[in-house]
Amino acid sequence: MSDFETRIAAYLAHRMPGASGIVVDELARIYGGSSQETYRLRACWSEQGKPAEKRLILRRDAPGGLVVAERDLEYNVYRALAGQRIPAPEAHFLELDPQWLDRPFFIMDLAPGRPGDPFTSPDPYDGHDETIARQFWSIMGRLAALDHRQLGLTALRNGEAAGGFWKIELDRWESIIDEGEAVAEPIVRAAIRWLRGNPPPEPAKPAIIHGDYRSGNFLFTPDGQISAILDWEMCHIGDPLEDAAWGIDPFWPITRHLPLEQGLAEWETASGMRADRKALDWWRLFSAVKACAIWTTAEAAVASGESHEMIVALSGIRAGHFHRKVILALMREFGVMA
Amino acid sequence: MRLTIEASLHRIGDLLREDVAPDLKTPFLGQSVRMASGLLTICANWVDDAAAIRVDENAAIRALLGEAGAELAGGLAGRLREAADSRDPGLRISQLDAENHRLRLLLIEAHAATEDAGLAALNAAIWRFLEHIELGRAQREQVNPFGK
Repeated sequence: MSDFETRIAAYLAHRMPGASGIVVDELARIYGGSSQETYRLRACWSEQGKPAEKRLILRRDAPGGLVVAERDLEYNVYRALAGQRIPAPEAHFLELDPQWLDRPFFIMDLAPGRPGDPFTSPDPYDGHDETIARQFWSIMGRLAALDHRQLGLTALRNGEAAGGFWKIELDRWESIIDEGEAVAEPIVRAAIRWLRGNPPPEPAKPAIIHGDYRSGNFLFTPDGQISAILDWEMCHIGDPLEDAAWGIDPFWPITRHLPLEQGLAEWETASGMRADRKALDWWRLFSAVKACAIWTTAEAAVASGESHEMIVALSGIRAGHFHRKVILALMREFGVMA
Repeated sequence: MRLTIEASLHRIGDLLREDVAPDLKTPFLGQSVRMASGLLTICANWVDDAAAIRVDENAAIRALLGEAGAELAGGLAGRLREAADSRDPGLRISQLDAENHRLRLLLIEAHAATEDAGLAALNAAIWRFLEHIELGRAQREQVNPFGK
């Protein structure tokens, strides 16, 4: 075992007193986790004289990244969503004490399947585009229908709020831009002014928002089934159209695989709510502003030396241009630039 | 033929992408090196006209601020006119970026005031300018003129 594998094995022994002879191997870091370090591994042990084996995922806090995540947030969401018809891996252990692996981490099952790559592949879902896209929308709808209070998720951001989510979220992302922006972006500020001047109606109900619900953040199996929705570190409570707008953002649009109206119909059936198309426009622009805030954070993290991840650097430099162009296109579509 | 900074960066990027990345022992390192190569390409495309872009952009913002200063009233108008008469403090990229940030902050104020005052023509001119500078800067990151 490598040193890191040995340390993980020691931790598992600490958490699994009934297990003996724990060995961790096949440890490999998974590329693409830009807000947390993600490793896959195999753990083998004996329990009551019988051999056991599990493929696991370890998610560890990164020194710096794209988003600022509360340490136990993702673990708590995975635990709360178990049995709720939202495909997600089973989470086993959360550890906040840095003595074990230097930074907080949690361990969960390795879910079957693989992610589609929305950025480089013309066929990211192996020919299952429409099936995957329909599930994408219906799972999002089922998530929106859940009652976060019943699931014990009131500690999430906005968990106690009854409404006003658009303003809380816009204030949050604007303050992140204020903090990280090195060169002011008048396009983004104009979009924020428009958003404040044209607020959306209140949602039918507060919903659990994944926060990064998009192509690339779920796994699918060879038979075209979504097996796990991943990367919940930006999960919060809000307007369910926030996730819908993020999912159709032109950077990773699920509409590449299913027309928007068909997707929204799936969502409406699964959620039991109507998707207000005009409100969705507001959230589309919000998504572009939120993306700009995330890229600003990425740029600042690399510039300060907090992050050494190349994907964070590239995102910070390249994606900001992309989303400012999205803002320009939306402002033109909304008649603001005329 | 002189080996320029941008040509050197492109060559290093090519080396990382084509020779180093395929030989690395883990997929994670290979992907990281390919990303680093992409980052070098973007940096390379920024080198040659970095100062020219910023000087031109700062001059264009000053012209727009002067136009806004003539149409708006109050203390903001005075600050805009003052900025319109200002000059870049030097030609280092850090100096030009700092000045660019200062001018952009004023442009944001001017744009908001223009919207509030209902100055449609000036508002449209600001949007045209914002689109122009965004597209101008974005084009620089895509192309590798030395690429194979």
